[in-house]
Amino acid sequence: MKIKYACALGVALALGILSSKAQVLNRLKQKVSDKTEQKAGDEIDKLFGGKKKANTDQSGGNSGANGGAGQGGAGGNNPGNNGGAGLISTPPDVKQNLIDAEVAYKKTSYGEARYAVQQAMLGVELEIGNKILKSLPESVVGLTKDAAADQVTSTGWGWAGLTIQREYKGAKDKQLNVIVANNSVWMAGVNAYLSSGGYAQQTSGQQNWKQTKVKGYRAIIEFNEGSGYKLSVPIGQSSIIVYEGINFATEPDLMKAAEAIDIDGIKKELGEQ
Amino acid sequence: MKQITLLGLGIIACIATTAQDFNKNIATARSSYSSGNLQDSRFAMEQVLRDLDIAIGKEILKLLPTKAGTLAMVEKEDNVSGTGSYVGLYVNRHYGADPKRASIEIMNNSPIINSLTAILSMPVLGGMMRDENQKIVKIQGYKSILNKQVNTETGKTNYELQIPMNNTLLTLKMDDTSEGDITAVANGIQLAKIVQMAQ
Repeated sequence: MKIKYACALGVALALGILSSKAQVLNRLKQKVSDKTEQKAGDEIDKLFGGKKKANTDQSGGNSGANGGAGQGGAGGNNPGNNGGAGLISTPPDVKQNLIDAEVAYKKTSYGEARYAVQQAMLGVELEIGNKILKSLPESVVGLTKDAAADQVTSTGWGWAGLTIQREYKGAKDKQLNVIVANNSVWMAGVNAYLSSGGYAQQTSGQQNWKQTKVKGYRAIIEFNEGSGYKLSVPIGQSSIIVYEGINFATEPDLMKAAEAIDIDGIKKELGEQ
Repeated sequence: MKQITLLGLGIIACIATTAQDFNKNIATARSSYSSGNLQDSRFAMEQVLRDLDIAIGKEILKLLPTKAGTLAMVEKEDNVSGTGSYVGLYVNRHYGADPKRASIEIMNNSPIINSLTAILSMPVLGGMMRDENQKIVKIQGYKSILNKQVNTETGKTNYELQIPMNNTLLTLKMDDTSEGDITAVANGIQLAKIVQMAQ
């Protein structure tokens, strides 16, 4: 019996020693492995000559434009753009394009002729747009124009047509946007609304839209808590003026601003009847 | 022989009319612009674009086959129009007579061209929207959509092939036909030349 206990004890001790030896061996292996990895890493860094330093600098200098680009979606080390004057706005030469169209037509290059006419049309539409912008007042109900936001857009296709935009800004984030659109799909919807007898005005609850008149033109005024007032005035067959009043206190406040715009003048400039 | 001469004279008369309109409208556009009447100039240019679309359409008609399989073209139903605006060019030719007809329609900036291109360029979308009567085929290298329609009354099978090429859509329709016949007709159309002219 004693012999049995002695044997069992011996086996346990032997296993314990083996186990502790294995642990020590593992630790040693780990240390060697860590050191080897570190050494290998250093060797690679040396190979790529100072890459490690550059990386450290980049991660530290993320406030710069390059840092931002490096972290951006492009990945790699592509630099970000820091400057450049942008594109030069060059309206097409209407007269020259009409001559080009005629020449191309005589050569039966109809595609070229069409392109030239589209360019000429683009030029004319931009001129019309700029004339309308010039005719708009410098200030409206105490709000002054933001010249940088003046915009004329034309496709030269006579479809989306012409869009002219002016912004007037004042204190307390009060803003009036005036948008003139010609040949606009937008206005077809408004005209359908105005000519339809099916739309009844609400007499109770919150009134968010209604019909109104601006300088004798039938119009629709809408209110949205998030975007403010919007007044749409169709003029003639294919044009519309949209006024967007942000932070206007009342409906009469916006109507007064709308009255400041020469609708008849815009209508004449657009050749509307 | 007489018919061919009359046809030739008719085409020459049409081209002469278009040329007159073009010259008149471009002269108006130029003079109105010079006198500062921008709106009239713009309107005249819209007319010029319409004239050009019609001229291009007539050139395209010359490229279209005179027969669709066994069906002969119906020349009096040839149709060319131009809106001078977004949609622009539209060319239409019919073949045969009831009950078996075919047609070729060419349209610039068709409202459905974007959805067709989406089906063709995104296999996932195409796979979701496709049904057993729709198939994607290649015609002269252009990916196209072939739609099959079985007439429940007559039991005959009609096909429609839509070939979007940039912003130009060519649609070939044939009644009572087979997939092989419609693709053979489509392969006989000068697609590359048509698209070059229509752009």
